[in-house]
Amino acid sequence: MLETRNLDKSFGAIHVTRNVSLKLERGERRVILGPNGAGKTTLFNQLVGEIVPDKGQILLAGEDVTALPVAKRARRGLSRSYQKNTLFDGLTVEENLALAASVHAGVSMTLWRDALQSVQVRAIVEEVANQVNLMPYIHAKVSEISYGVRRQLEVGVALATKPLVLLMDEPTSGVGPEMAKGFHDLLAGLPRDLTILIIEHDMDLAFAVADTITVLNYGEVVFDGLPEDARGSKLLRDIYLGAWEDA
Amino acid sequence: MFRHTPLRYAALIILFSGALFTAFTAGYFGMEILTEILILAILVLALDLVAGFGGMVSLAHGALMGLGAYAFVALATKAGLDPWVAASAAVAITAGTGWVIGAICARSHGIYFIMATLAFGQMGYSYFFEQSFFGGDDGMVGPRRFDLGFIGINLNDSRSFALFCLAILGVIYLVAMAILRSGLGRSLTGVTHNEKRMRALGLNVWRVKADVFGLSGAMAGIAGVLAAQHIMFISPKMLHWTVSGEALVVVILGGLGTLVGPLVGAVAFVVMKHELSHVTTYWHLIVGLVLIAVVMSRANGIFGFIEARFRPKTDRMIQSIQTRDDAKEIAKDA
Repeated sequence: MLETRNLDKSFGAIHVTRNVSLKLERGERRVILGPNGAGKTTLFNQLVGEIVPDKGQILLAGEDVTALPVAKRARRGLSRSYQKNTLFDGLTVEENLALAASVHAGVSMTLWRDALQSVQVRAIVEEVANQVNLMPYIHAKVSEISYGVRRQLEVGVALATKPLVLLMDEPTSGVGPEMAKGFHDLLAGLPRDLTILIIEHDMDLAFAVADTITVLNYGEVVFDGLPEDARGSKLLRDIYLGAWEDA
Repeated sequence: MFRHTPLRYAALIILFSGALFTAFTAGYFGMEILTEILILAILVLALDLVAGFGGMVSLAHGALMGLGAYAFVALATKAGLDPWVAASAAVAITAGTGWVIGAICARSHGIYFIMATLAFGQMGYSYFFEQSFFGGDDGMVGPRRFDLGFIGINLNDSRSFALFCLAILGVIYLVAMAILRSGLGRSLTGVTHNEKRMRALGLNVWRVKADVFGLSGAMAGIAGVLAAQHIMFISPKMLHWTVSGEALVVVILGGLGTLVGPLVGAVAFVVMKHELSHVTTYWHLIVGLVLIAVVMSRANGIFGFIEARFRPKTDRMIQSIQTRDDAKEIAKDA
């Protein structure tokens, strides 16, 4: 469903992505691990088109999307949530979801008709609100809901575009252990045919939701395999303890 | 999202009633001032749509209004088209020009957007200033006003023309509200809040900006057609950047991004201009001081100040009415 071939990116002398090749099958849930500065978010930014890679290819559902701009990739089915909330603060939860859903429903440019009144938009909003447990807050403004609920909405907005591949950048960033567990349930409840790539620091969540795990260090893939193999990996432990250079 | 509060409806009713009252009681000069306010109100509504709701601060709107006026006059007098056809074509031309300006400037932001629109506006001004076909710096004499004789209205009468402009303003206000509540309007709100996020959701951001700029250009074109009919003379001065600057002052004075505020601003600005110009030739200086006071007060213009002062009260009133209704419902159920 999503594939990268020899993706490479440098900012001056800093090599942030080194020859990264990944292949995600349809419905696969892959977690990307790696210490701060490993190039995880930069990889995401290249996948969605916010950063242009120096070399390599990105394929979505078999189509080369490397040269496509952000909006076109999103319309092809590549959606992301951000590490820091990028919500529309003055709007309600429903309106936030509707903004995303209206693009998918093709009513984001219509005149004389309120996108929120579109049957398709309303159906998507209701479906996604149920999926990410936002129904109790549906009419609340973003400024009135808690941080944890905002993180759910951040994922909801990305889901409302009905993507083929969902990229989630640290969905549990800044939330407590209870809420992190809630995210596990939330992820488990998403459609099984949705391909998900997650950057996550919470190891418990990562191992609980991942079908496969990729570990990045200094922009390079140093591990790519099953969670059970990663769990006992000395390499992974060394990286997280900062002993990679000696390993 | 655009929401019309009870206070905004109340302000609209007061403004509309005030305009009607003036139209039926004022003398000739009062009528001229009213028409001037109404035409300016159309221009600033157009500007509020892009600047207030889309964050696109334009210094090309004076030029778009002037283009509408020139296109209308040229098509009606030189090409001999029926004034209604000429007016429709002029509005289509300004809409198209606005769309192109919006599409080109869509990728720039802040001061760069302002400068780009300023450049477009001044290009238009220079063209009409130099072009002898359009009368150069002498300008052109406008055509006769629209013929509404078939419904018994003579627009050469200043009261009828003022009421005609009021009706057009009313329609444009409703159109602006409809745009802001449409899919396009909601997308514009999203883009203004977070352009990067909207792009990541798959939205064609430049297209949203261009479409809204085009619609706003059409409104500015209508203001131009009415201005040409009002004074029956047009000159390149209409396209000068100072006209755009003045329109921006009116929008800020009234309340950016409120739709109602710019109408309040138009009334305040024109009344101040006429009253103060009787007293001093330095009336601009006083308007400038008022603008500084409004900006320094941190309220969103005159209407923003009124909203901040009275909105909690109206909100409380609505809440108490709702609570009373809920209590009645519960009592009925019991």
